[in-house]
Amino acid sequence: MIGIGLSTYVEICALGPSQAMPAGGWESATVRIEPTGKVTVLTGASPHGQGQETSFAQIAADELGVNINDVTVIHGDTGVVQYGIGTFGSRATAVGGTAVYIAIQKLKEKAHKIATHMLQADASHVAFEGGKYSLEKAAAAAAATGTSDPVVPVGEAPAGALPEPQTEGKTSLTIQDIALAAHLAKELPPDTEPGLSATYFFEPKNFTFPFGTHIAVVEVDRDTGDIEFLRYIAVDDCGRVINPMLVDGQVHGGIVQSIGQAMFEEVVYDEQGQLVTGTLMDYALPRASHIPEFELDRTETPSPVNPLGVKGVGEAGTIGATPAIVNAIVDALAPFGVKHLDMPVKPENIWRIINGH
Amino acid sequence: MIPVQFDYKTPATLDEAVALLASDLDGAKVLAGGHSLIPAMKLRLAQPQLLVDIARIKSLAYIREEGDQILIGATTTHYQLESSDRLKQICPLLPECAKSIGDVQVRNKGTIGGSIAHSDPAGDWPAAVLALNADLVLVGPNGERTVKAESFFVDLLTTDLQPGEILREVRIRKPSGRFGQAYQKVPHPASGFAVVGIAVNLELNDDGSCKSAGIAVTGVGVKAYRATGVEAALAGTSLDDNAIAAAVAHVCDGIDPNSDLYASGDYRCHLAQVHTRRGIQTAKARVQ
Repeated sequence: MIGIGLSTYVEICALGPSQAMPAGGWESATVRIEPTGKVTVLTGASPHGQGQETSFAQIAADELGVNINDVTVIHGDTGVVQYGIGTFGSRATAVGGTAVYIAIQKLKEKAHKIATHMLQADASHVAFEGGKYSLEKAAAAAAATGTSDPVVPVGEAPAGALPEPQTEGKTSLTIQDIALAAHLAKELPPDTEPGLSATYFFEPKNFTFPFGTHIAVVEVDRDTGDIEFLRYIAVDDCGRVINPMLVDGQVHGGIVQSIGQAMFEEVVYDEQGQLVTGTLMDYALPRASHIPEFELDRTETPSPVNPLGVKGVGEAGTIGATPAIVNAIVDALAPFGVKHLDMPVKPENIWRIINGH
Repeated sequence: MIPVQFDYKTPATLDEAVALLASDLDGAKVLAGGHSLIPAMKLRLAQPQLLVDIARIKSLAYIREEGDQILIGATTTHYQLESSDRLKQICPLLPECAKSIGDVQVRNKGTIGGSIAHSDPAGDWPAAVLALNADLVLVGPNGERTVKAESFFVDLLTTDLQPGEILREVRIRKPSGRFGQAYQKVPHPASGFAVVGIAVNLELNDDGSCKSAGIAVTGVGVKAYRATGVEAALAGTSLDDNAIAAAVAHVCDGIDPNSDLYASGDYRCHLAQVHTRRGIQTAKARVQ
């Protein structure tokens, strides 16, 4: 007896505008480029498995043109990180990642100013690409003299003390050059604070609205009421995807939690108020052997709410999957007039329906 | 919780182990894999004063053949039984049953002797040894005795082991002629224990009719039991679908089935019928 269950959802994520939140809906970030050229990201988000240590490092590495291994993301230490709101409501990347992104734009603005000054050029002649501030071709030809500084490969420490940077006749400067110069403070433009650090508190103007469709195909064993997954398909739209593996992981986890809710998990008390499902010997969590192969796909509709276009995906799996699964079982039992089933749907319930017990 | 305080000894030989048990008949308990005993001690359901650890007595773990017998030492682990290529050839019910127990970690430590001596109402080994009509060799202060499996499992968590006795060997007559075996298990989604577990050992006549059947059930009653009604109904039949259907109707005869949050007594009996049928059909299909 085969059943197909469908669920389409729209959800509210990236909590959220402070007006609508109990104690602030913004998120904070501080991004520093150290004198060594390494990047430190302090985030008020508080990942606990969601992977922002990686995705925020990706944002910083992409935006600054640095090696991702030179970025350190720090979170959760209230002695070190400025106040933040945290990770919940699918907000860490949409709100926290945006704070990181905008802080970096502030850094790049200052670095551009310093580069322009050090290259002794017009601001409009200096462009940032691949981690370097470079003179446009014509201005570059006029300035070239052939001197060069010792090159320390990115990601390594220098073997000895570096000589002072020579900028006479340079046509480009790396962002690491700028960071060092910002701390040595010998060639800064007038009225420029030393250092290269920016903090931003991003206040979102709205929530975001991810959406998707999940489909479960199940087979019910007439004799035992056992439920087997034949296929499980999910297509979700969480806006722009920074790290596909992290997004897939979130969807996997959500679907597995839904399988638990739909088919296994229940908290039961007896008439005396004694908890009967008190240990994992009685409370059934979904296990690898219970889980089907997932067929996952995506669409990417960037959100207009933040410059990254990210919506959030932490809960999508649980929202889409639970109804798809129960709908599939209900569909399989449609010949028996079933229109609804309470969760968890257990084989004995199904056997009783089929056999009229 | 943590266990009540206890002493712990590691005898080097079986004789030493028997002597240690005899020194404290009430308070001493045998420890092998520990995966039933230690959880019970942590819940303080068991409070032995002395643990006699026989897991390190190497001479107690073996899989041997002598004549038409398979001899299995009591401290042979589930893993050793699961991975025995020889048993997969000559008595595949044993590795199939072993493989269904717990998980990898449990199978690396748990022993066939411990499982039989503990006699959990959902234990897998009791069903397998009942279906195979095994002999169990016990050793105690008064010497050795052999008990048939069908007399060994007495009641809930209660066996024929007398105070001071240790199960040391399981003996199984090598299946011969045309035979087929199967172990069907419905695992509880949380604990993994058998909601029902059915062990099937079929021996066929040359014409394909049923010469004898060993059918044993675990998970349904207070202890594992032989479904003698099913066995008798199968004997002499051609093992066609009707014969099997008629036979499995007897699988819960005389049994008051267990009932819990996952499966009521009615449903459990129904599962026992379904899986006995499937076990017989699988065993029949495997006959050479």
